[in-house]
Amino acid sequence: MSARLPPRHGPDPAPEPPQPAALRIGLHNPAERRDALKLMGASLALAALAGCDDPDEFGHPLHAPARASDAEASAADYATVLELDGLSRGVIVRTRNGHPIKVEGNPQHPASLGATDIFAEAAVLSLHDPNRSRRIRRDGRPVPAAMLDEALAMTRAELQARGGRGLRILTGPVSSPTLARMLGAVLAAFPEARWHQHDPLADDAALEGALRAFGKPVVLVPDLGLARTVLCLGADPLGHMPGHLRHARDWAAARAGGRAPRLIAAEAAPSLTGARADRRIPLGPAEAESFARAVATMLGVEGLAAGGSHPAAADVAASLREAGTEGLVMAGTGQDAATHALAHAINARLGSMARRLLPHPLARPEPMGASLAALAAEMAAGEVTHLLILGANPAYDAPAALGFGAALRRVPFSLHLGYRQDETARLCPWHVPLPHPLESWGDSRAFDGTPAIRQPATALPSEARGEVEVLSALLGRPVAAREAVEETWRVEWGEDDFSERWPAALEAGVAGEAPDALDLPLSAGWDRPTAPLQGGLAAIFSPDPGVRGGAEAHEAWLQEMPRPLTKIVWGNAALMAPATAAGLGLSSGDEVELSLGGRSILAPVWPMPGHAPGCVTLPLGGGRRAGGPVGEGRGFDAYALRPADGTWVAQGLSLRATGRKLEVVTTDSHHRLDPGDAIRTVAPGGSLPQPERDASLYRDWPYPGHAWGMAIDIDACIGCNACALACQAENNVPVVGPLAVSQGREMHWLRVDRYHHGPEDNPEASFQPVPCMHCEQAPCEPVCPVNATLHDHEGLNVMVYPRCIGTRTCSNNCPYKVRRFNWSDHRRFLDTPARNPDVSLRPRGVMEKCTYCIHRITTARSTASTEGRALRDGEVETACQRACPTRAITFGDLNDPESAISRARRDGRHYAMLGHLGTRPRTTYLARIATDAEDAP
Amino acid sequence: MAQIFSTRADARLRLVLIVGAALILLIGAAAFAYVRSGNAWAIGRPAEQPVPFSHAVHAGGLGLDCRFCHAGVERTAEAGMPSAETCLGCHERVWNVTAQFAPLRAAIAQGTAVEWSSVSRLPDHARFDHAAHTQAGVGCETCHGKVEEMPRTVKAESLSMSFCLDCHRDPLANQQPAGAVFARDAPPAAELQAMRPHGLQAQRYEHYGIEVSPLTRCSTCHQ
Repeated sequence: MSARLPPRHGPDPAPEPPQPAALRIGLHNPAERRDALKLMGASLALAALAGCDDPDEFGHPLHAPARASDAEASAADYATVLELDGLSRGVIVRTRNGHPIKVEGNPQHPASLGATDIFAEAAVLSLHDPNRSRRIRRDGRPVPAAMLDEALAMTRAELQARGGRGLRILTGPVSSPTLARMLGAVLAAFPEARWHQHDPLADDAALEGALRAFGKPVVLVPDLGLARTVLCLGADPLGHMPGHLRHARDWAAARAGGRAPRLIAAEAAPSLTGARADRRIPLGPAEAESFARAVATMLGVEGLAAGGSHPAAADVAASLREAGTEGLVMAGTGQDAATHALAHAINARLGSMARRLLPHPLARPEPMGASLAALAAEMAAGEVTHLLILGANPAYDAPAALGFGAALRRVPFSLHLGYRQDETARLCPWHVPLPHPLESWGDSRAFDGTPAIRQPATALPSEARGEVEVLSALLGRPVAAREAVEETWRVEWGEDDFSERWPAALEAGVAGEAPDALDLPLSAGWDRPTAPLQGGLAAIFSPDPGVRGGAEAHEAWLQEMPRPLTKIVWGNAALMAPATAAGLGLSSGDEVELSLGGRSILAPVWPMPGHAPGCVTLPLGGGRRAGGPVGEGRGFDAYALRPADGTWVAQGLSLRATGRKLEVVTTDSHHRLDPGDAIRTVAPGGSLPQPERDASLYRDWPYPGHAWGMAIDIDACIGCNACALACQAENNVPVVGPLAVSQGREMHWLRVDRYHHGPEDNPEASFQPVPCMHCEQAPCEPVCPVNATLHDHEGLNVMVYPRCIGTRTCSNNCPYKVRRFNWSDHRRFLDTPARNPDVSLRPRGVMEKCTYCIHRITTARSTASTEGRALRDGEVETACQRACPTRAITFGDLNDPESAISRARRDGRHYAMLGHLGTRPRTTYLARIATDAEDAP
Repeated sequence: MAQIFSTRADARLRLVLIVGAALILLIGAAAFAYVRSGNAWAIGRPAEQPVPFSHAVHAGGLGLDCRFCHAGVERTAEAGMPSAETCLGCHERVWNVTAQFAPLRAAIAQGTAVEWSSVSRLPDHARFDHAAHTQAGVGCETCHGKVEEMPRTVKAESLSMSFCLDCHRDPLANQQPAGAVFARDAPPAAELQAMRPHGLQAQRYEHYGIEVSPLTRCSTCHQ
């Protein structure tokens, strides 16, 4: 089944999310017009009332904890981990009144180093999702928990009699030592049972490539801080690859330290790595292996079974040869096993020191596509009598060609453990709510194998059960998740060390070291060339940068966050090279019918500058059919076309224009500035002319105390959106939905602008985060008729919400277009325990914008004042700065000449956006450094 | 044809106009008086509390220090409410009236919070930091009144913006010497402590010839 976007001029103009409750009145029907007049009258009366303070402030609850120790716990920070594709990154969860309100990175965790990504930031939203599953259900109806226990006990008795024959357990990718131990115990108790894993985003070819090259399931972990030349064959270390936060940090630190690695990206669809690469080679899937072979041949790799050719190969090979042991080749998702093996062979030939081969962090690495296909075949054959699906959603994200849903109906007893009542839950007789990762105990491993304990930051809903709890109930020895995790680590560390190491592991958020790197020789016969792809267009499946494989599709923050390169929100589109689209006579938004392997879907076309010709990228994760109103029906479901073995590339896609248009909502044209004014570029080692301070007709403001300023290094920015989402989470910024976004009414206080430079077939991209500039001579201030936006004693441009009458003149006068207007009242959607209580909610009809996290400044000032000292440099960290994986954002006091921000302002690359306007912005930029493909102007 | 308007029509019209105008003025004056009255700000109105607690007994009669229960007042923005354990620590031994303490016992048994009702709540867009104020020498009584004389806790001051500004414009008038912040009936301070060197008061500045104190800037208190 495929889902499609509604036509642009259809009866229902656009799919609407649960928020905001936009008042939609049709004015064509006279009866409705009368209603509209009534509503107008009522809203006038309400507006008058709204001018008064809310009466409910009196008697507002004051929480007093039960125990004195709870007082600290209710406003504490917890170090824990969140998983992405089964691999963890460390986070610190800030709680208030016992509710998590913000996720920040854990500086001590190797996969975070203090930074977060958009998915970690959105965990707070999913935790408080009203559409999450809360009840144990049998055939869709809530049942008491005792019934589940009874059913599990009966299942156990039945299975024990036949050694577990017919029992299958399906999980997502498992890196948790405790879950692996429990699964081992179940498999030992029921010898005929089988455990399968499913991850739609797993890179099976990488595993197969490692097996071919070394005979062992190892992972390649790059060190971008050490590398001098890096060739990424479809690999996206700055975006999608496990450990991306770490790699981005290493890359940025090396660049800042003058050891910038030369990044060469050979890829089909532009990725974040490709956007920031020093050289990008658009390379369709048909050419990828040939290119890798040509490079390998030129570098003298031994044991090659075939050669290849590509015009760019000689130059790339020379660059790698020159880098020697500091050269590195990485293959990513979308490449076949032969290319992965070639990458390993080239690294071995170079003797690359910039990569480590580590034992696979997953408990049982296996090709997940094959694992799921084997399970589906057994289910279809009627061999499976009992199926436990733990935290996976194969009814949606398995390839449709596998027929998993139909096979699932043949299983007499199936139990789905999941966070939502998703597509799989609908097909299983039993559904058990899975706790959110922020609610439950567990453990996990990072991309490099570093273990960590996951501890809850809030209370567990009464009926939710973790994987461990369900499995232990099946064994007849129910244990709580915490006991199971403690048991694992008690055995691992020994009884004596446990009492010391356990609290230390919880405190630090890291439970041990990464395993040692392996030194493996290349296996003989590693090279097994793949038959060249032929016929038609190639379909490339890819994780959507916003909703990944679709599991995150229910996060409104993620749906509305513009995808870094396309700026598409609330959906997806079939991406192809502008030349390919033009050749087919298609332009953006044209609906096409995509057919592959006998199935077809409808999708809008999106010409993507820099995309390789002859192939179409189909982002996964759209077209959800169940699980809540936010995710359902957003975009098309590319799983419908994916081949049964779950590969990332399929040849033979055919494409037919239907002649209709589909609306793709994008913010690409919103708040557009002239690129020449916004982005400056310098040659490596160069600097910009620093202008004299412009004279002003207005008198200068004195700043006797602090003078806050921000500098954003656009050379370090990788466009990952972490800052924008951190800002949204921190400042209670509402989600407005696709209709409002299409009208230019998105509310993000911090947007990340993307600019393309150069030719359309292979442009360079640069990113520029744009918060409020906090101008010293702010154009917004003098035009406000009610003095609702004004300048404060520390140089902040502040908004007085209760004064604002919504003329929007300030926004009109803002040259940077950073002000956002509340067209609707979003407060009832925002006033949940997830909101940050330090930031007030804005009513309808007022303007809002970045405050430089003024509440963080005030809190730091109060703390310093209470302790009787001055504020220290770096004590105030804005939410965006804290989230940034490359530390592109610096914030601090300009009055202190030794502060980090003052040093950044003295950098030769420093410039002010639209500085010639004389606005004297406090937010300034450090220019981007030209790549070797271009000359600085 | 009969007269449409009687001879007294003019007088009636004038009367109606005068009475109408007077009514409008009266309503306006009454509304103005009301919003400035203690009633509109809920001054003196007690809130429903889970446990019938008397500050008059505890703070007045027994002389407990404010910080015994509101432990965070010198360190954190929120003064903090006593945990159920703090209450029962004494009440296991004295005045152990089971029925009254049921909410506290339930909280301990279930690990949930006791929800007291606030009587001195500021609106969402205003921020108040207890630690900063107590450190700057503002006594509890300045905002909360004579709590130790209240059998049922009530709001003593309007806590309106003008109430805050009165003090922020002239902070020295309400500052107590360091030792007297938590004292009851502190005599009018003879020697006022100098403002802390890092306090906002130290950063007064002049713009367009007007001396401005950062204590009265919007962003100091509003968020």
